Amino acid sequence: MEGYLRTAPFTILFLPLFGMIVIALVGPRVHRIGAAVIGNLSILGAFVLTAMLAWTVWRLPPDAQVLTVKYPPAWAAHPQFWAHIPPLTISFELRIDSLALVWMLIITGVGFLIHLYSVGYMADAKGYRTFFAYMNLFVFTMLLLVMAGNFLWLLVGWGGVGLASYLLIGFDADRPAAVLAARKALIMNVIGDVGIMIALFLLYAHFGSLSYKEVFGNVTSASQSALNWIGIWLLLGAVAKSAQLPLQTWLPDAMEGPTPVSALIHAATMVTAGVYLIARAHPIYDHAPIAATTVAVIGCATAFFAATIGTVQYDIKRVLAYSTMSQIGYMVLAVGVGAYAAGTFHFITHAFFKALLFMAAGIIIHNLGGEQDIRKMGGLARRMPLAFWTFLIGTLAISGIYPFAGFFSKDAIFDQLLASHHPVLWAFAVATALLTAYYMFRLLFLTFFTGEYRGEHEPHADRSFTMMIPTVILALLSVVGGWLVLPGHDAISSTLAPAFADSGKLPRMGEINWFFTSIATLVAVLGFGAAYVLYQRGAEIRVRLSTALRPLRALLFNAYYFDTIYHWLFEVPALTLASDVARYIDPEGVGGVTAGVARAATGVGDAMRGWETGYLRRYGLSMVIGMVLVLAFYLYLAHGGIAAGMK
Amino acid sequence: MGIAQVPLADYLTVSAAIFVIGVIGFLLRRNPIIMLMAIELMWNAGNLAFAAFARHFIDMSGQVFVFIVITVAAAEAAIALAIVVMVFRRRPDADVDEISVMRG
Repeated sequence: MEGYLRTAPFTILFLPLFGMIVIALVGPRVHRIGAAVIGNLSILGAFVLTAMLAWTVWRLPPDAQVLTVKYPPAWAAHPQFWAHIPPLTISFELRIDSLALVWMLIITGVGFLIHLYSVGYMADAKGYRTFFAYMNLFVFTMLLLVMAGNFLWLLVGWGGVGLASYLLIGFDADRPAAVLAARKALIMNVIGDVGIMIALFLLYAHFGSLSYKEVFGNVTSASQSALNWIGIWLLLGAVAKSAQLPLQTWLPDAMEGPTPVSALIHAATMVTAGVYLIARAHPIYDHAPIAATTVAVIGCATAFFAATIGTVQYDIKRVLAYSTMSQIGYMVLAVGVGAYAAGTFHFITHAFFKALLFMAAGIIIHNLGGEQDIRKMGGLARRMPLAFWTFLIGTLAISGIYPFAGFFSKDAIFDQLLASHHPVLWAFAVATALLTAYYMFRLLFLTFFTGEYRGEHEPHADRSFTMMIPTVILALLSVVGGWLVLPGHDAISSTLAPAFADSGKLPRMGEINWFFTSIATLVAVLGFGAAYVLYQRGAEIRVRLSTALRPLRALLFNAYYFDTIYHWLFEVPALTLASDVARYIDPEGVGGVTAGVARAATGVGDAMRGWETGYLRRYGLSMVIGMVLVLAFYLYLAHGGIAAGMK
Repeated sequence: MGIAQVPLADYLTVSAAIFVIGVIGFLLRRNPIIMLMAIELMWNAGNLAFAAFARHFIDMSGQVFVFIVITVAAAEAAIALAIVVMVFRRRPDADVDEISVMRG
């Protein structure tokens, strides 16, 4: 038992990395399907092992459910640390508790389904094997992020998922847009990495350790202002990774990556790492009210802000990207007000329905030969029934329609907002729900109805089984996923309770307040109604509205001009500075110094050359003069100076 | 009592005189054979100083040095003479100022 709990996490963590290495080594020697099989099997293996581990851990007594496993084990000849810079000792330790297990189950489970989906989706792509190697690398680093037992290993995983994300966004390296998007994502994520690094320095300064166990165990020993600062810097990392305001602009561009990448990394798992980080650092945020409030406000603002942008976009994946941003805003909002279980619950259901939406969108894009503009779709419901039905389920789930998954998790968040006395945040959250239902149904109508097919490519029917099976499984999960929390039965809170034992405030969910729940549902139906009226019934109302609101539309369509602002605020000054340095400082300053050094060497050489006359007797004279000088020097040493010697 | 003890300073004076003669010869003459002889003078001035100090301090290592110097001087003279012979074969005269082909 002891040995199993020690080896299983290690195996789960390194199985995807092992798969990647095997693909890299044998990939070119086997058929391309071989790489896909290796990738899929390694992730499936990790999922099965995680499920078994979770089954074992969750049957332990509650106070034994937080495992800290250090490697290498005690019996090995090596000391128990990975880096030892006295007095700081960093072990390679993993922390397995219910929070980590929930995330691991989603990463490996949804990760496997998306791997399976990629087999069909990427079938015609160049670099098929590389794709699976990168996907495995992503799963490995993401697992490291959530399994890490101290902040340093968390940062390693944090940087690793940024790298995998960069590689996969820019996977189609022939398209300049993809490369630029990848670069943008990397730069924005590195801003967050630096934030976490600063938080690490502060943690070390205040606690002398980076281990979760020691930091969270002594969290009250630090002052509240110190905890606030640590919380704010950690939040910077979370904001960058989870595409929250003000570092959100990379996520819509990241849709340049292949659709399975968008589904796995930029919807289901990586972008929720910020939520995980804040939930993981809950002892800090529990004692840092200012930081926690900042988290909640940023989450709420992002949820609303992204939803407004989503209402006017025309790229199917961009709409989904803005909805992802908005839904993660909900999760961040939830963990910000201390509703960790509700945030985790929404993470689970969101992973199901958002991965589903991306997969259904991917089927459409695949069958339309890469077309992503919904103005060139329409009337696809009859031509692609599977994509339509699964997309419909996803849309119902994200809009929060009973009894689909999103209804329960959103309701839990709304409940917690009211229970923790945040009526303003609640109002914005409900307004976001209205917008969500509106833009999702607008997307649904424009894609599958609203007249006949408007595109140029002749759509072909969805056939690939490896794409259909995971989509159907996720559709089922998007229906039943919310039933984890029903009135009087709250599987999430009771599962998470041991991991949040030190928090003391993990309110139970599932207590449905009928009045407020009806408001949320009504609002969702209202959003659906608005989309139905505008896109199915009254085309002339729509035209008149969009003419009347043209400036607002432009503002939203350009995402509040954030990209433009950042361009003028950061890119232009940086580029101007760089080009000025290149034009003036580099040739005159840097070049001048190097040229001066070279000129000095040449001058010395020229001067010395005059001495090398080739006359033997001149060399002899040089030797004699040198000899006399050496002799004089020794005389000086022996007599303390010539003057002293003359006395 | 036998032969009176010659003081160390006398030996050193003779040695310095021989050395200076060698130096001047080396610097002023242009015939390579003569220059080699001047170098030999300098070697032997050093040898004389070594031997005198060995006797003065009753330390045999000075005399050992003399043998080493003689050996090295013989090797040097052999190489230098070989070079000089080669130069004589190629050029009608043997003036060291004329053979400055390796100047910088």
